[in-house]
Amino acid sequence: MKHACKEISRLASDSLDRKLGLWEKLKFRMHLFICVNCRNCDNNLKLIRNALDLIEKTKYGQARLSDVQRDQLHQTLKKNTGC
Amino acid sequence: MNSDPHLWLKDHGDYLYRYALSRLHNEDLASDMLQETLLAGWRGFENFAGQSSIRTWLVGILKHKIIDHIRLDIRNRKLAESVENDPTSAYFNENGSWSEAPSAWQDNPEELCQSEQFHAVLESCIGKLPEKQQIVFRMRDITGDDSDTICKSCDMTSTHLHVLLHRARLALRMCLQWNWFGEGSRS
Repeated sequence: MKHACKEISRLASDSLDRKLGLWEKLKFRMHLFICVNCRNCDNNLKLIRNALDLIEKTKYGQARLSDVQRDQLHQTLKKNTGC
Repeated sequence: MNSDPHLWLKDHGDYLYRYALSRLHNEDLASDMLQETLLAGWRGFENFAGQSSIRTWLVGILKHKIIDHIRLDIRNRKLAESVENDPTSAYFNENGSWSEAPSAWQDNPEELCQSEQFHAVLESCIGKLPEKQQIVFRMRDITGDDSDTICKSCDMTSTHLHVLLHRARLALRMCLQWNWFGEGSRS
């Protein structure tokens, strides 16, 4: 049974967010087996996800409060809690 | 257990700040959220059951503050996107097959994420998405929040969320195909 690529692209996206049902998974796998376009699309989406994941880790992995921010926070805490 | 918020700031401040910054992409806002979290923790310390660590408890407070902030932001800006009028139709023929065949992309993520140029193209492609798609896409694929958290933040059903993510990803794929992978990529 041939499933439209549009529907398969939705499954490719959904598979990044939720576990596909058994029937969905079967439909998805079988279609990818015969359709190079959807295989490419699926790989493209995964590549975007992985690249973003790596970029994000390098971007915020080292972020720290600045001394100014830290001082301000201590002052606000002191004012509001009295300790 | 210690209820001194100054000590929390010292021990967990950077961790909480990173958590907020990666979700809000704004240093002042992240610092404000941290401040509110520490104060809320101090006021509500008797609610801390001691079953989890102080850090986990504080993250829980911060997470709710961020969800509330995003929800309010979406409401205030009246961001809506209809489920009808499917923009992904543009990528497919009437019979549901691709109107422009996706090609195989040759790069690997490790190399890509080291390229400043790729960052710029990617960011500009994400910036072109409709705002609501941008918000949910950033939360899901950049910050890595789970669907449940995003649905709560954005007042939407999981089906609606998946529709928006599908639209965002196909648009992003197309944009990168044109602006980055087009040349020299194998079809």
